[in-house]
Amino acid sequence: MSVSLGAFVAVSAVLFFIGTAGVLVRRNAIVILMCVELMLNAANLALVAFSRRSASVDERGSVFVVFIFVIAAAEVAVGLAIVLAAYRNRPTVDVDEIQRMKG
Amino acid sequence: MTYDVVEPIFFALLTIGIVSAGAGVVLANRITTSALLMAFSFLNVAGMFVLLGAETVAAFQVLIYVGAITVLILYGVMFTPQQPRAYGLFFQKQTPLAAIVVVPIAIFVALFAFSFRDAPEAGAKGHDLEPLATSVFRDFGFPFEVASVLLLAAMIGAIVLVKRDEE
Repeated sequence: MSVSLGAFVAVSAVLFFIGTAGVLVRRNAIVILMCVELMLNAANLALVAFSRRSASVDERGSVFVVFIFVIAAAEVAVGLAIVLAAYRNRPTVDVDEIQRMKG
Repeated sequence: MTYDVVEPIFFALLTIGIVSAGAGVVLANRITTSALLMAFSFLNVAGMFVLLGAETVAAFQVLIYVGAITVLILYGVMFTPQQPRAYGLFFQKQTPLAAIVVVPIAIFVALFAFSFRDAPEAGAKGHDLEPLATSVFRDFGFPFEVASVLLLAAMIGAIVLVKRDEE
């Protein structure tokens, strides 16, 4: 027997929940970035699973995953640059103490 | 031993790797441990992609996530000071309220995943490079160019943000 689509969706959901919990619980800006990456990866897993296991195989899900790779790379670069710029102004990476960007 | 027997075993191993490494990212007290566990979780997701027959996406996953993004994050860890402060954040007074919100969502997601138990399966294995390339360069040519402009803008933005003021 092969693994069903629902099992992949379940793993993806669990990984997304773990990432969300990390973003909400941790206060270190870099760990928050890592948890956002985990959430993006969960979405990638669901997209590939639906794309490869649907009744008619459709590569568009994999194409979206490739674009998500590009956007994740850009997001990490800009996010780390913001963290480093904020760290230069005030020597902390704790998001509770970085309040200058509050609107 | 056929492929159909091996597949659930690999799926179980990869699931254990993904979930335990993901939980480790959130729970680890040292941030370097978090970063390396994140890389391990990404590697297991790449294994899932291979299991789904999307080898090209798995190769991109290893190159971009396990390679580039992990190194970038480790550089961020290197440039900033780390003070361990992870625990005690879990048990706050919002916990009952959070449970009320999360439990219905979790039940809904579980039912949604369960509804695909008997879904019809094409089960295409491998050979995904050619249709993927055709789709990216023919159907999604314009978004591909927009993505390259986005990467250029992100690169320039990152350089401008971390550049020291000359005067």
